[in-house]
Amino acid sequence: MTAAATEVAWDELKLSPEDYSRASARYRRRRSRAGYLFLLPYFIPFLAFLVVPVFWSIYLSFNKDGLLAPARFVGFENWREISADSELTDSIKTTAQYAVEAIFLVFVLALLLALLLNRYRKGSNIFKLALYVPLLAPAVLVGLVWQFVANYDFGLFNLILTNLGISRVNFFGNGTYALLLIVLAEVWRGLGFWTLYFLASLQNVPEELLDAARVDGAKGFRRFRRVTIPILRPMLLFAVVIAIIANFQVFDTVYVLTSGGPYQSTSTLVWFIWKRLFQFQQTGQGFAAAVLLLGIILFLTALSFWLLGTRRRQERAL
Amino acid sequence: MAAPDATIDIGSAAHADYARAARRNRFLGVTKGVSAYLVLTVFALIATVPFVYLLSPSLRHSYVLFTYPPQWIPENLYWGNFRTVLHETSYLRWGLNTLIFATSVTLITLVIDTLAGYAFARLRFPGRTVLFALVISTLMIPTAAVVAPLYIIVSHMPGWTHAGVNTYLGMILPMVCAPLGVFMMRQFMSSVPEALVEAARLDGASELQIFRKIVLPLMKPAIVVLGIFTFMMQWVNFLWPLVITTTDHMKTLTVGIASLQGQFVTDWGVISAAAVMTMGPVIIIFLIFQRWFVQASMAGALKQ
Repeated sequence: MTAAATEVAWDELKLSPEDYSRASARYRRRRSRAGYLFLLPYFIPFLAFLVVPVFWSIYLSFNKDGLLAPARFVGFENWREISADSELTDSIKTTAQYAVEAIFLVFVLALLLALLLNRYRKGSNIFKLALYVPLLAPAVLVGLVWQFVANYDFGLFNLILTNLGISRVNFFGNGTYALLLIVLAEVWRGLGFWTLYFLASLQNVPEELLDAARVDGAKGFRRFRRVTIPILRPMLLFAVVIAIIANFQVFDTVYVLTSGGPYQSTSTLVWFIWKRLFQFQQTGQGFAAAVLLLGIILFLTALSFWLLGTRRRQERAL
Repeated sequence: MAAPDATIDIGSAAHADYARAARRNRFLGVTKGVSAYLVLTVFALIATVPFVYLLSPSLRHSYVLFTYPPQWIPENLYWGNFRTVLHETSYLRWGLNTLIFATSVTLITLVIDTLAGYAFARLRFPGRTVLFALVISTLMIPTAAVVAPLYIIVSHMPGWTHAGVNTYLGMILPMVCAPLGVFMMRQFMSSVPEALVEAARLDGASELQIFRKIVLPLMKPAIVVLGIFTFMMQWVNFLWPLVITTTDHMKTLTVGIASLQGQFVTDWGVISAAAVMTMGPVIIIFLIFQRWFVQASMAGALKQ
């Protein structure tokens, strides 16, 4: 309609400046309205199920109950309680230890496999497919598989140990082994993803640069260290950020494999939160820990973006 | 590898040296290649063997598990474990629940995310940057930090107090607002030429018409990628279904399988049968649509 009206006005050149500005304002208003209407279907659930819950969690961390019984405001009591709770500090330490081990292991292996797949492309498709398969399994199922592999009586690990003449190990009775199992399960699940991620990154390394280094006499490892790694650095940093954030939320495997045991030795932060909220009915403490998790993750995100930013600024300055 | 340099006379000592070096080089290359493929094969086996390993106990009586030396290939196939899964658990119902849950979340997500993505990429309105920044700032929010308030909201959804728990609607709706999809869609839609949209606008098309007739057809690959990604995220989703379902027949597969562990404590035959039934169809679907899966998971690099 407006388009037609404008066309007529254009032909007859009758549009006064006031008419023109009024028409354009109408057009802009209509366009804005379209914009808000397009956003509405997303923003209703977004506000209701993401923004509001965040603030609700923060609010309830200053209350007792609130989940099944009405909330009672108690000020900082929950925060005092959890800050004095050694179980929480242990959970955070366990989570950090788990994350460092899992990320280190998965990155080293994935980088190695990606380099091999990048260099030896013949038939690499079949390997990529095979590595991808564990990614299709829910973490719960992966936990069950590992529960099975590490079983005391008939598990694959103990079978190998017996065949080697070493006595069986109860992997679930020892905190160090139990955490290692969770690390291995998550590494196993994530290896395919990170391999494909690094492979995609490696394919962005310009061939000419590597050729130039080759001509200059740089041997394999030096070429990798001096050419490939510096080019990959932003992608590596980004990967570290995502991996830290994801691994800080480890829960499913803990739930199925160890239930936080033995003696809380594999209790991670999310496991702690889940237990306080839904098992022990100490919801106030659960909410406080949940807000703490949110804080940690946001802090890590901000820190890494800041690091990424500094790096970029430095590079631009060079 | 390369032809001998023109300045080296064939038969000279230099040529013999060169030939020896080339042979050594070739030998090293072959050795490296063989070891590379060996490493790749080992890891490919590590990735896949546990699933094959599960097949064996699923086809045996559980007590056979404890024999030593282990009996890898069952002497006679025993289908009882699968029967137990089908008849003594709500396995089929869990599968149906998972399908309904993941499919609905995916479809709703696709609709609302493409709409929002288009608004952020191609429409001008006051507050656009601020709203987009708000969406982006929620990208990293962990589920564990919002799961309890979500439970409260769902269980008190207006009008049907406590009715939201154990319902499909209560399960589905809170999961449709993952900000990553909007971010992805905005990125993809920014690649639609502005001139194309502008031309349609001049021809008098409404924004909805532009969106449906011009933008969506161009977005088909992006929509498939986001669809697979969203479906996979919900297919493996555990924490939310665990919290929001309390009755057996509303559980999803992930929650149901986890609960088998308590129900059939040592009956590994049954548990592995359930695992085989779960992974079988998924692996087949994956093999058919593999190209899309890989793309989708790369798009998800931003999320965990």
